[in-house]
Amino acid sequence: MRKGWLIPVAAAAAVLLLSGCGLGGDGGAGEDVDASGEVKGKVTFQTWALQPKFTDYVQGVIDAFEAAYPGTEVEWLDQPGDGYSDKVLSQAAGGSLPDVVNLPPDFVLPLVQQGMLLDIEGADDKLNADYVTGGIDAYRYTGHNGVYAYPWYLNTDVNYWNTELLAKYGLDPAKLPTTVDELIAQARTMKKESGGEVYLMSRKPELGDLANAGVPIMAEDGKSFVFNTPEAAAVLDKYRAAFAEGLMPRDVLTDKYAGNAELFNSGTVAWTTGGGNYITSLATDNPTLAPKVIPSPAMGTPPLYAQGLSVASGSKNLPTAMALARWVTNAENQAAFAHLVNIFPSTKASANDPFFAQSDGTPSGDAKVIAFTSLAQARMLQPVEVTGAMSDIVKQQISLAISGDASSQEALDAAVEQCDKLIGQ
Amino acid sequence: MTHQRWFTPWLLVAPAAVWLAVFSLWPSLNTVVLAFTNAKPLGGGRFTGVENFARITDDAQLGDALLNSVIYMVVCVPLLTLLPLLLAVLVQRKLPGISFFRTAFYTPVIASAVVVALIWGWVLEERGLVNGLAQQLGVLSGPLPFLTDRWLLLLSAISLTVWKGLGYYMIIYLSALGNVSRELHEAAFVDGAGPVRRFFNVTVPGVRNTMALVSVLISVSALRVFSELYVLSDGTGGPGGQDMSVVMLIQMYSRGFTGHLGYASALSLLLFAVTIGPMLLLLRLNRKAA
Repeated sequence: MRKGWLIPVAAAAAVLLLSGCGLGGDGGAGEDVDASGEVKGKVTFQTWALQPKFTDYVQGVIDAFEAAYPGTEVEWLDQPGDGYSDKVLSQAAGGSLPDVVNLPPDFVLPLVQQGMLLDIEGADDKLNADYVTGGIDAYRYTGHNGVYAYPWYLNTDVNYWNTELLAKYGLDPAKLPTTVDELIAQARTMKKESGGEVYLMSRKPELGDLANAGVPIMAEDGKSFVFNTPEAAAVLDKYRAAFAEGLMPRDVLTDKYAGNAELFNSGTVAWTTGGGNYITSLATDNPTLAPKVIPSPAMGTPPLYAQGLSVASGSKNLPTAMALARWVTNAENQAAFAHLVNIFPSTKASANDPFFAQSDGTPSGDAKVIAFTSLAQARMLQPVEVTGAMSDIVKQQISLAISGDASSQEALDAAVEQCDKLIGQ
Repeated sequence: MTHQRWFTPWLLVAPAAVWLAVFSLWPSLNTVVLAFTNAKPLGGGRFTGVENFARITDDAQLGDALLNSVIYMVVCVPLLTLLPLLLAVLVQRKLPGISFFRTAFYTPVIASAVVVALIWGWVLEERGLVNGLAQQLGVLSGPLPFLTDRWLLLLSAISLTVWKGLGYYMIIYLSALGNVSRELHEAAFVDGAGPVRRFFNVTVPGVRNTMALVSVLISVSALRVFSELYVLSDGTGGPGGQDMSVVMLIQMYSRGFTGHLGYASALSLLLFAVTIGPMLLLLRLNRKAA
């Protein structure tokens, strides 16, 4: 009798365990939700690292929304840049996802798989008419119908060159490389002229570089990886030879310097890639270097970096959440944002804005125009299905290939095999 | 005599029991369950039988990680068992200013492992202090790849662990040395035994149990090494991830939005199985001491 409590406690523990580990079953796909209704009441709006730099802008957009829709109230939450994925993960796991939340495409997929986000395309029939296809497609996912965010601001990569180092070590800033082969040839010149003190190249290739060379990363059904092709091996072979020749610092094997941007900022390498606003931020980090930097278009297909505003399907105020997401991403508000910083609107109405197509003659202005014109060809080079562990595995195998510890084909085969095992899980 | 209800003892231990159940027992049991699923951080979690364990046998990187952990243990155990003992014998003497040296040796222990590893990273990088000095003095003609060569990186991490652990185990030995009979030392001295002979024939037998305890503690922590390798390799596990430890592998698979919690849990169980040996030995020693 006295131990009768054991049974319910054990049962509760079993239930807790099974529910905790998620054996209760997969989350459902997005359901049809009615987002129509009166725009009124309170909603939460979460952005990613926009305070304090853009506090005035965002608050102005929110104030205008509340004025346009009397009776609405927006609670703005801005999360710090670091740890954002963990923050969103804990919100999603705890059922407290904000009504409107800023998410990049790779964060969206796991939420879509759990049915936590609203299909914007199903709820807003003007989506395709008002936003650019590239931005919309960034939020489409294989196996899931619909679009799961209003595209917000877009960006892409531009090449940046340190003209002082180029000129000093025998290279002509007017003849910048436009292909990997030209890049390697110029890196050779720079190594020779600088006695190995300065590098042109300081990054190893990634999945995006393989995609850029025309290598398909995933099978069309999105269920397996196929990037272990002879073409991909040939790309790695080029970098492997360049590494063996000493054209890249040894630290590229471990990304010790967190990519090449840090070395470029310190004036140790002469080439890096960055968004359209890179020179603006460089002017803060290294004001003496910024005026010596010139931009050029990215080699091959430019990568697309998208940000979007998703609406939580569990929102208790869907009409207002939808209205707010659309308001923040409308052409007028996006254009105003893009005039503050070199990002690019995802609305079709902004395509003809002369501001983006005309440079003020400064390198930063040139970078803006290059990035804007590149966006038409830009696409997401790394599929969103690539998880953090897969990305690590690919980097490790590429590192083995570049260092010569494995042949390029062996490394790619190993990467594909391991990633295939993970994608099925 | 006051009547005691049957649940009174349970009430008294309840806070501690609840704490243990929530933060130790439940996560441990959940790890066992997760190891048989394809769980992700968000929902999901289909029962997949022994699929994760089958994958373990087929994971080449795990072989590297286990090898690294075993090398770590094999090198760290003798070094961190003997060097702190010698250090403790040195600073045990009552000399003027000896407390300064005791404090100095203990300082690395109180410093954060991550901060210390970052500093070592700066010191050991290609253009860092060690390579710079060695080249200036003409000892090296070019920089040594301490952080980008598989074995040099492992060696650097082991050196950091040993340096950081010296003070901690020295303190343990200092307390043990206090229990070694002074009369035995004096008798050995009178019999003509020199310092080396007294060390091996009096000191070492006197702290033998402590040495065994220290060895077991080091074995367990060496098998579970993370911070040193993680920070020195910038989280990449060295060139090609060849310097990953098992804990780094668990972190790699479990982190973020899309973590593979099922496989990471299976790896955790494997690590538990690997470290259980030294832990059982520790329990046995404790029982013997009691």
